[in-house]
Amino acid sequence: MVHAADYLRDIKPVLKARCYACHGALKQKAGLRVDTAANIRKGAKSDSIVIPGDPERSELLIRVTSGDEHERMPPEGAPLKAHEIAAIREWITAGLPLPENEKAEIDPKEHWAFQVPKKVTLPENSANPIDVILDRRRAALNLKTQPEANRTILLRRLYLNLIGLPPTMEQLADKRPWEEIVDELLKNPQHGERWARHWMDIWRYTDWYGLGKQLRNSQKHIWHWRDWIVESLNSDKGYDRMIQEMLAADELAPEDPEALRATGFLARNYYLFNRTTWLDSTIEHTAKAFFGLTINCAKCHDHKYDPITQEDYYRFRAIFEPHQVRLDPLPGVMDFEKNGLPRVFDDHLDIKTYLHLRGDPKNPDKTRVLDPGVPAVLATFAPEIKPVQLPIYAYAPAVRDYVQADHLSAAKASVDASKKDLVEAQKKAANALKEKPEVQTKPIKSATKFNVTDDFSKHNTELWEVIGKGWQFKDGAARQTISTRGAERLVLRPKLPRDFELTCRYTHTGGNVYRSVTFRFDVSSDLKYANYVYTSAHAPGPKLHVAYTRDGTSTYPPEGRVAQPIQIGKPYTIRLAVRDRLVNVWLNDKFQIAYSLPDRGPSGQLLLSGFDATVAFDDIYVRSLPTDVKLVESKNNVPELKSVSSVEVSQSKLAVTQSRLAALQAIFDAEKKRGNETAFNAASHSAAKREAEALKVEGEYELKAFAKDGKKVSAAQRKIANAEKKITALNESNGSYTPLRVTKKALESPAHKEDQYPAVYPDISTGRRSALAQWVTSHKNPLTARVAVNHVWLRHFGEPLVETVDDFGLRAKNPLHRELLDHLAVEFMESGWSFQYLHRLIVNSRAYRLGSSSKDVDLSTLSADPDNHYYWRMNTRRMESQVVRDSLLHLAGMLDSSMGGPSVDPGDSVRRRSLYFKHSRDQQDNLLKKFNDADHLQCYRRTESIVPQQALALYNSKLSVEMAGLIASRFEEGNFIQKVFQFVLGRSPDEDEMKACRQTLSELESVARGVQKTKADERARRGLVHALLNHNDFISIR
Amino acid sequence: MNVNRRMFLGNAGLGFGSLALSAILRGGESGVNGLPHFAPKAKSVIWLFMRGGVSHMESFDPKPMLNKLAGKSIGETRFKYVQDRDRLKKVRVVVVNDANGQQRNKLYPLQVGYKRYGQSGIGVSDWFPHIGGCIDDIAVVRSMWTTDDNHGAQVQFHSGRHMLDPRVPTIGAWVNWGLGTLNENLPQFIGMGPRYFDRSDGHYLGPAYDEVKLKIDPKNPLDYAQPPADKISEEEQKLGFGLVNRLNQMSLEQYPGDSRLEARIKAYELAYRMQTSVPNVVNFDKESEATKKLYGFNQKETRTFGQQLLSARRFVEQGVRFIQIMHGSGAAGAWDQHSNLKAKHSELAMQVDRPIAGLLKDLKSRGLLDETLVVFATEFGRTPGSQGSNGRDHHPYGFSVWLAGGGIRGGVTHGTTDEIGFHTEENPHYVTDVHATLLHQLGLEAERMEVPGHKRLEADFGHIIKDIIV
Repeated sequence: MVHAADYLRDIKPVLKARCYACHGALKQKAGLRVDTAANIRKGAKSDSIVIPGDPERSELLIRVTSGDEHERMPPEGAPLKAHEIAAIREWITAGLPLPENEKAEIDPKEHWAFQVPKKVTLPENSANPIDVILDRRRAALNLKTQPEANRTILLRRLYLNLIGLPPTMEQLADKRPWEEIVDELLKNPQHGERWARHWMDIWRYTDWYGLGKQLRNSQKHIWHWRDWIVESLNSDKGYDRMIQEMLAADELAPEDPEALRATGFLARNYYLFNRTTWLDSTIEHTAKAFFGLTINCAKCHDHKYDPITQEDYYRFRAIFEPHQVRLDPLPGVMDFEKNGLPRVFDDHLDIKTYLHLRGDPKNPDKTRVLDPGVPAVLATFAPEIKPVQLPIYAYAPAVRDYVQADHLSAAKASVDASKKDLVEAQKKAANALKEKPEVQTKPIKSATKFNVTDDFSKHNTELWEVIGKGWQFKDGAARQTISTRGAERLVLRPKLPRDFELTCRYTHTGGNVYRSVTFRFDVSSDLKYANYVYTSAHAPGPKLHVAYTRDGTSTYPPEGRVAQPIQIGKPYTIRLAVRDRLVNVWLNDKFQIAYSLPDRGPSGQLLLSGFDATVAFDDIYVRSLPTDVKLVESKNNVPELKSVSSVEVSQSKLAVTQSRLAALQAIFDAEKKRGNETAFNAASHSAAKREAEALKVEGEYELKAFAKDGKKVSAAQRKIANAEKKITALNESNGSYTPLRVTKKALESPAHKEDQYPAVYPDISTGRRSALAQWVTSHKNPLTARVAVNHVWLRHFGEPLVETVDDFGLRAKNPLHRELLDHLAVEFMESGWSFQYLHRLIVNSRAYRLGSSSKDVDLSTLSADPDNHYYWRMNTRRMESQVVRDSLLHLAGMLDSSMGGPSVDPGDSVRRRSLYFKHSRDQQDNLLKKFNDADHLQCYRRTESIVPQQALALYNSKLSVEMAGLIASRFEEGNFIQKVFQFVLGRSPDEDEMKACRQTLSELESVARGVQKTKADERARRGLVHALLNHNDFISIR
Repeated sequence: MNVNRRMFLGNAGLGFGSLALSAILRGGESGVNGLPHFAPKAKSVIWLFMRGGVSHMESFDPKPMLNKLAGKSIGETRFKYVQDRDRLKKVRVVVVNDANGQQRNKLYPLQVGYKRYGQSGIGVSDWFPHIGGCIDDIAVVRSMWTTDDNHGAQVQFHSGRHMLDPRVPTIGAWVNWGLGTLNENLPQFIGMGPRYFDRSDGHYLGPAYDEVKLKIDPKNPLDYAQPPADKISEEEQKLGFGLVNRLNQMSLEQYPGDSRLEARIKAYELAYRMQTSVPNVVNFDKESEATKKLYGFNQKETRTFGQQLLSARRFVEQGVRFIQIMHGSGAAGAWDQHSNLKAKHSELAMQVDRPIAGLLKDLKSRGLLDETLVVFATEFGRTPGSQGSNGRDHHPYGFSVWLAGGGIRGGVTHGTTDEIGFHTEENPHYVTDVHATLLHQLGLEAERMEVPGHKRLEADFGHIIKDIIV
């Protein structure tokens, strides 16, 4: 026979899991609730769903067993299992026996966490409210607390909790009153560092990461936000203000870069590839962190447990839809790789938000634009959203004084630098004139005068200067006998006329790779300029080639090349005729090529040489080229490129920097007048002119600087023409300048480019985020203060008051200590949301100061509350990973206490506090990782595992061995064990512990003596300290 | 005793048989205390994962039709239908407008031949002749699909969740969590080779369930395996650990019932033993030359992977539950031939083919194959159409994996793709079906593996591929 008990055991859990979401208190689809047996009997709005005794005609059974997928309940997921259906059938058959006093699901609006918290009424002059409330609860159960922990353990607990570092020997001996020490620690800037790390967990701090150099997640220089957290905690900024700044500093304090750092909270969610993913993270973690709701569960469908609809989700998204991320410049730095302030701003004011059907961004419901809003169930106290007019400072960052100053001083520095360059160039030119007057000598112009012949029967020293090794004049030839790529050459002493003709008989006699014979003319004294013709017996492509060297770089124009089967050992007669830039070449009397050189140098210097080759020059004949000799025109006849002196180039460069400076000044002048239309337009017009002028000057400079490069020359010419056109246009009518880009907006998608974004941003912000921030921090918001208090409590007591720290929705049961939570939440708000007030309240309580041991516990207390739900003792916790490392360094006196600044690469040799380590998917300190470091994706509460890898890390890491040695060296021999034990573990050893340590120390010493001759005692002491650092009490907060 | 859920997770991760303690800590739920839900067929898993995507057509699902249609556009063949919008919509894009993960229309012929192997006559490409030789011990599943068209598919294959969904534990972490240990001296979930995605396996199960990363280096096989050189002698360390143990035991008198302290004491005991036990497993001095050769130690191309596989066998012998070996380094994984498929795939196949066959033979000859499940998997397949002139793109709609040993039928294929290898046809399987099958062989029921507060989706559990089970 089926009883009500069977319903409760076999059926109700199934209905709860599969049906309540749509047919319970949260929703009553078709007017049906199945959350009690009575409701099941009552049925839907229109019909009953059960006929007692007749399961097969009962709608309930028909629907859960239907073969038609559209009919079958539940509509999502697998059908009910056979045994579940059987239980329902039997229950109906038995006539639906009802259990007594079955309670319906509560109305979600009645959920405890949705009610405004209230203070507990305390007796006048009563002790700490925490103790009053807990004592009452304990008294009711007759629970007895453990005695207060001993003083040094207590001080160690306090130091670790408030500043994250264990006390020194002096601090352990501090006799001042507790409250005084508490106040001092809260004032210690290390307190901000300790608690910042907690909030960095909750607010998901991560440094940027991506792939290679591509920024994909978070932002560069996001550490500014970390510094803001530390500073905010140290100055005890109200938590309400902190939230407001994190969500909307750009609207609430648009001109305060200090406050803007806070928006790193949002910038951290940046994700290059997918805006929906980016916003999903923003939505999920804003809600979880600040008001403990899992809004994220309503992305694809209405929330299964909480009164949050899918529409709520997308309304919440609409709050963030317009915002984007950018880097603002910081004073003194113009390179965003070096520094910059990541911050958010509203960019797309009119962007629409649609509900994504089934959470699919490809499937938006475009029939309805959703307005921004907070979840409807808590929207009664939501403020109206009002757009915010932004100051110029925010939307046109080029008006900022420091930005202008930085840009102007950079521009001025360029002017100064080019002035210096000019002086240098002038000096060089003057020196060149003094030292090498022949450079300026004009080549001999006479057409008849020049005539040189040599058969190389001997070295005619008047004609030829020999440079380098290997030259021999023998067997009627000038021979280069070693194959080199060096500067070996024959230099013809007389200077060639500009137009000349050269005929030379020669033989390639051998060589390595290129095996070339080269005839260079117009060679400058530093060899950086030359025109030349060479033949090469290079195996894959023997050839004849006309080529040239400019500024030391050789160019081998394809138009100057002719393939020729040059062979080793075969004599060739080359003839070149050069007229102005035109070169004609014959080989063995056969015409080969006509080529126009880009220009001709003035030196008149001729060189003969091999390159990678040995060669024999048999005879040579050089004369002025008779005017009547006709030459073949070249096909590459390009206009002559002018050679420009470096002085001219430098002058032109100076003009560029000066005109840029002038343009910049004009632009800034205009920027300052933004807001005053007439003045702005006038200034803008003149800035535009300056800008065009600067462009022209730039073109003129390029024309000179790149005179040898045809392509760049024509680009420069276009630039000038363009600039002139602009100038003309500006003379005729108004125009405006190109706004200066002084910020760096994060790419919205990898397909975008930075310069497609405007340099000036919208002058209005939607006000959506500041309205959200006001709602979150309203005293009427029942969640925010409770969630924060719960986080703080957890980190002092090791256990939270509400177990699901990021979910205060309907799945969070009414907490055991709700009164306490509510009372603290209200006091917290009333204190001006002061964390330091809350800390003081907590650590000054008696509950906080109880011992953590259950030794000699009252047995009835233990059996009534074995899990310490009533805080009859303190809970022991393990140090967070950062505290483990920081404590090691601190005890060794090695902790670098400098605060703030860019994140540092993790590593064994770093001495900064651990919160300054880079922390991202790609970078995490290996030691920290072993001790449950914060998951950069989500860490509302640290996990606390106990695994052997931790033991290995603490025993075998370089850091712990090194610190053990340093700690040991801080203590003298006398009473060493006693002192160092207390220093490392915060308490004195008892007799047994003393004995064990003493014994091991002496054993270590005798081992050490076997290993090293000197300082064996030091080594042994290090060994002892090292063991103490591995004592469970070291990494525990007792 | 102050025991909460979080602690019990922490403790169970010790992976050693502190049965009394973890029994209390774990409560009675799923796969506790190393006790499976029902009699297991397999004790251990060797999970071989090819990073990137192995071309299914050119490995375990040969498609001669591609040679016939080579050069044709899909749209002009009778397989036009494969590109119907509805058939393509299960893919979820992470990287919008990526150059990769696109439709490739021009059918690309097979870049390698194939043969029928063994009594079963299953076709395997010529790039995997040694694995082909073991085909009668292997069940090939030719009908896998996934939903990520980019390398997030690596996360997806291990966790069952798409990159855009919240991170959940990977299969290795679940096995580690679900089963206790068979060896008190070794971690239970060991990983080797490169990996790119998430740094965590355990996620909400806690880092205790992450893989313990090992290197094939007997001197330093895992992080902090040894103290810094010359700083602490063996004898000193023994004294040190001894003192730690004694002091902690004394502390236990001060803090009676402190479960963390008890766990810490155990952890130090295990850590001390691990310092010798782990290096021993990756020390191959006692292995015969014949065995080493079987794994390809004698060739430079196969040596690295062969060493990892041999150590995997040695870990299996020692009772380690899950050994995860990833092959193919590089950000996107080596098996990612958007171009140059023939040259690179043949090179990579050569690196793994002989060692894997060696592993299967070695396990079999030692009688270990029956209780060891070997899985060969990859992120996705590759497109039947060509990318560029000589590559194939990512292909999530149909690809192959195989399983062997641990109660898996040998010499069978299961499921099919269409004739050009585009879509799954018969018996399609999502990646978690492999997980479900594997858990089933280990004696675990996926649906019963759940942690309060972390609802799992139906798709997370998968469905057992019954046809390939003995």
